[in-house]
Amino acid sequence: MQTDEFSSDHLDVLKELMNIAMGNATASIADLLQAFGTMHIPHLTITDMDGLKKYIDEALKYDEKYYVTKQLFGGIIGGEFIFVMTDESAANLGNYLYDVSQPNDADIMDAVIELTNILSSTIISRLTEELKTKVQFFAPSTEIISGNHLIGDEDTLNYHKIIIVSTVMEFQSHKISGQIFILARDETIIRLRELIDQKLEELYA
Amino acid sequence: MTHTLDHCNIVFESLENGTLVVDEECTVWSWNKWLEINTGIASETIIGNNLTAFYPELDYKGFQRKIRTTLRLATPTFYDASLSNRFITIPRKKVTTSLLTSMQLQVTISPYIPSLKRVMVSIHDISDLHELKMTLQHRMMEIAKLNSVLKQDKQIIDTNLMIVKTDCGCLITDTTEAFSHFFGYEKEELVGNSLSSIFVANKHDTEFLQMKDLLQKKQKWSGEMEVHKKNRQQVWMDTVISPYLDETSEIVSYTAIYHDITDKKRIELLSVTDPLTKLYNRQKFNEVFEEMLMRQHWTEDNTFGLLIADVDYFKNVNDTYGHQVGDAVLIAMADTLTGAIRTSDILARWGGEEFVILLPDMDMEKAALVADKYRQAIEQMNIPEVGLITASFGVTVFSKGDTQEKMMYRADLGLYRAKKNGRNRVESVLP
Repeated sequence: MQTDEFSSDHLDVLKELMNIAMGNATASIADLLQAFGTMHIPHLTITDMDGLKKYIDEALKYDEKYYVTKQLFGGIIGGEFIFVMTDESAANLGNYLYDVSQPNDADIMDAVIELTNILSSTIISRLTEELKTKVQFFAPSTEIISGNHLIGDEDTLNYHKIIIVSTVMEFQSHKISGQIFILARDETIIRLRELIDQKLEELYA
Repeated sequence: MTHTLDHCNIVFESLENGTLVVDEECTVWSWNKWLEINTGIASETIIGNNLTAFYPELDYKGFQRKIRTTLRLATPTFYDASLSNRFITIPRKKVTTSLLTSMQLQVTISPYIPSLKRVMVSIHDISDLHELKMTLQHRMMEIAKLNSVLKQDKQIIDTNLMIVKTDCGCLITDTTEAFSHFFGYEKEELVGNSLSSIFVANKHDTEFLQMKDLLQKKQKWSGEMEVHKKNRQQVWMDTVISPYLDETSEIVSYTAIYHDITDKKRIELLSVTDPLTKLYNRQKFNEVFEEMLMRQHWTEDNTFGLLIADVDYFKNVNDTYGHQVGDAVLIAMADTLTGAIRTSDILARWGGEEFVILLPDMDMEKAALVADKYRQAIEQMNIPEVGLITASFGVTVFSKGDTQEKMMYRADLGLYRAKKNGRNRVESVLP
């Protein structure tokens, strides 16, 4: 971690902003999907590719099947929002949203996309709103992966520093849980730091 | 407001994708030209009506939830475009072969007039992309299957075939499990080491030198090679070494394939070896003798010699001390001669107490001197129970037109004369 570029103060502010955003996401899900859940306090790390791989290895099980939805967002700050659910959680979500006991793959995929959509737009929009900037969302895509190969080697080219925001979302009553990763690369980290600096100036002005 | 909406409708009409505007109740407020053309439903027919009347099969619960999400969060929402189409069905008019009969759609629902709870639904035909993806997935599955077969084959090769790969400097880069297991090494012990320094028993062996020569000429080499295991046990390998060349014909690496032929070699050795003295037997000697005669380069000045040696009074040894002691005499004589000859000489037991030696590149004078040296060496032997023994020698050399029979006759004649003239001596018979 290069603290000269992103200090612990920056991280604290970002963590606080993410907390607010996560709270918003939980509220949105309760409102839109009538599902009442909790979100853990987000964990923030700035790392390199090896660090990301290690982080994913620890976060995900190698023998589990996962639904992974990736959504790009762009603007002054851009990156990749990744939502990861076990196949059991995804099936429960499909079952809950589509009222069928055995949802098909398309039902599950769509349900996962829908939840990701709400999560990404609420979390990222709220964060960017706090930082007084705008963001554009791109169409998400979902794939089923086995093990913890969340990110292929080819996906990690040109990434030098990565900011990882991860949290766990749980809807106990529906046995649905998932993990959120927000990945941003070098230039976004710099922009984010600048925006946080502005925010800090405003707060202390 | 009306003016703005009219302007928007003009924009929608010119778009190269489907665009419709609906409210939370799914009433259609705009239906652009792209949709008219591709669905066959005129905008006058559908606008002001509910979408359910035209597309009853659509999951409206999910659609309305997405509209609600779009409006509440003021952000676009999406349908999953990776599997079957989840939105309205639009037939595909592709004439050539297609995997899809209806369009695969990328559907985005964006906020349009939030105050009227209206959203804009943008529809993009991604069928070609989807088809490509499906084809790619199909190919990937085929590749995965092939990979699986290859993996199985590789495993079979790895466990059963002894293969080594080296770089251009003959440093080992990889080995099969079968190879490292057979030679008693861990793969890690082998990688990075020189192949010849680990395995080759005799680097001055003609075969080895010939192999080096051929490989340096970028040619493939195959032959039999005596090598040793980690525990120094000697084994025989049928070997094929192939260089791998790059586009500029420079050696990049070598691949060596080994097959254990130690048992075969043992059997071969048994068939040409005299069981008592471990020297070549008569059959092998005849074979080598014939090969030597066939060589074209012998002249008057460059010829080869033939010796026959016979233990003196051997019958007495057998009669006095028994056959076991007689055998010990023959073994001692074989050992003495083996220690005395040159590496290029061929020594064999002819039969009984008779030994034969071929001496390449030797004239009569030298052959007689060599024979006398051997005679003296035997004279020095002190055999338990028996004590000192002697041997007589008959010597001849090759001359143009000679056959085995002719040379053997002359050598035998020399031996006869040596015996007749008092034993423990050398007699030469010129051609």
